Amino acid sequence: MMEVIAKIVSAAMVSVFVQNAIFDRAFGSNVGIYASRKNSTVIGFTLGITAMTTLASIVSFFVDQAMLPTEFGWLFMPLIYSAVISVLYILGLLALWRFFPKIFRKIRKYVHLAIFNCTVIGALFLNSNYGSDIWSYIGYGFGTGIGFFLACFLLNIAHEKLDSDKIPRIFRGYPIMLVYIGVISLAFYALAGYTVDF
Amino acid sequence: MNNKPSGKFSLDGLFRQNIVLMSGLVTAPIIVAATTFERALVLTLSFLLISYSSIIICRFIPREIVYTVRIICYVGVAAVMYIPTALLMNALFPETASAVSIYIEILVVNSLILAKTESRFYLMSMKEMALDALMYILGYAIAAFAVGIIREFLAFGSLFGLRVCDAPMPAAKTTFFGFILVGILAAVCRGVTTRRRKRSESSGVIRKGAE
Repeated sequence: MMEVIAKIVSAAMVSVFVQNAIFDRAFGSNVGIYASRKNSTVIGFTLGITAMTTLASIVSFFVDQAMLPTEFGWLFMPLIYSAVISVLYILGLLALWRFFPKIFRKIRKYVHLAIFNCTVIGALFLNSNYGSDIWSYIGYGFGTGIGFFLACFLLNIAHEKLDSDKIPRIFRGYPIMLVYIGVISLAFYALAGYTVDF
Repeated sequence: MNNKPSGKFSLDGLFRQNIVLMSGLVTAPIIVAATTFERALVLTLSFLLISYSSIIICRFIPREIVYTVRIICYVGVAAVMYIPTALLMNALFPETASAVSIYIEILVVNSLILAKTESRFYLMSMKEMALDALMYILGYAIAAFAVGIIREFLAFGSLFGLRVCDAPMPAAKTTFFGFILVGILAAVCRGVTTRRRKRSESSGVIRKGAE
């Protein structure tokens, strides 16, 4: 039991700090910038992405076992992962519509942004490269969502200052946000002492 | 920013609404993977083949289908278009395509297909849409090549694969440099487009006054 917990936690730590979706891979950086504008969207996006990356990682483990050893299996992975995400997306929406109609009405405008983005599908591809067993798949998927939350939180707390008059007009908003993410990415890079190999 | 089509041919996608430098809809491949000209070329060709064909094909998906299902159809079409694209890229650029493979794979959920189709492209006629989508992809290409060429020189001391000097800044191939460089290019692009808009507005005012 302790071994399983250790595997999940260590895979989650890797995906939060060493291979952070936004700071290390730039997966979903546009979604992160969009979500970080309001506290409520940070929470909404984080819950959506974490649930999707965790559940989709569990399913993708079995899919990877069946498809990746085949000669041309890799060609069909985007199609299969998209199908997995789509099925979970519809099931999730149906569950929300049935049991939490108020939440469903609130989030239906942007829920597809939280589900169909690079963070979710990228986590599945990284899992297929680095995951060894189902526990590391689950840990990595869950950690991707937490890493996204960490990134959104760091963007959210700086949002007001980065949009102030102290910032030159042409840098205000999106450009300075990218530079800010770059500086935090540099800090993560130093923390991990690691470089991406794509 | 007004996304609604004006009814005539628009160059907005090149600079004013550039999907990398102005709206940031598709940034990950360029920030992380566009470290050389060849990589930028592979990413641009992949983006062209996957996105353009998907936008054209998805045009025929009936609007009566609910949005939730339409989005799934768009992703499905893009994932199918990935198959010939990946085969072609692996045949033409085997090493580079495998090095950036994950950034080609994630293009199946790019926001040009998922967001711009609904908010812009499918409000236009077929011909307008085909040209407009091409402008957006050209805008992506401009950003990819600018970032790729700058980083290739700084990180490897070469241009278009030809060695020029010792690498002046090896860290230019890292993700954090990608963010900072794209941020600076975004500011430059914004500065230029703002100045051009102000100039055209002021000349319009003068012309009005003369009339």
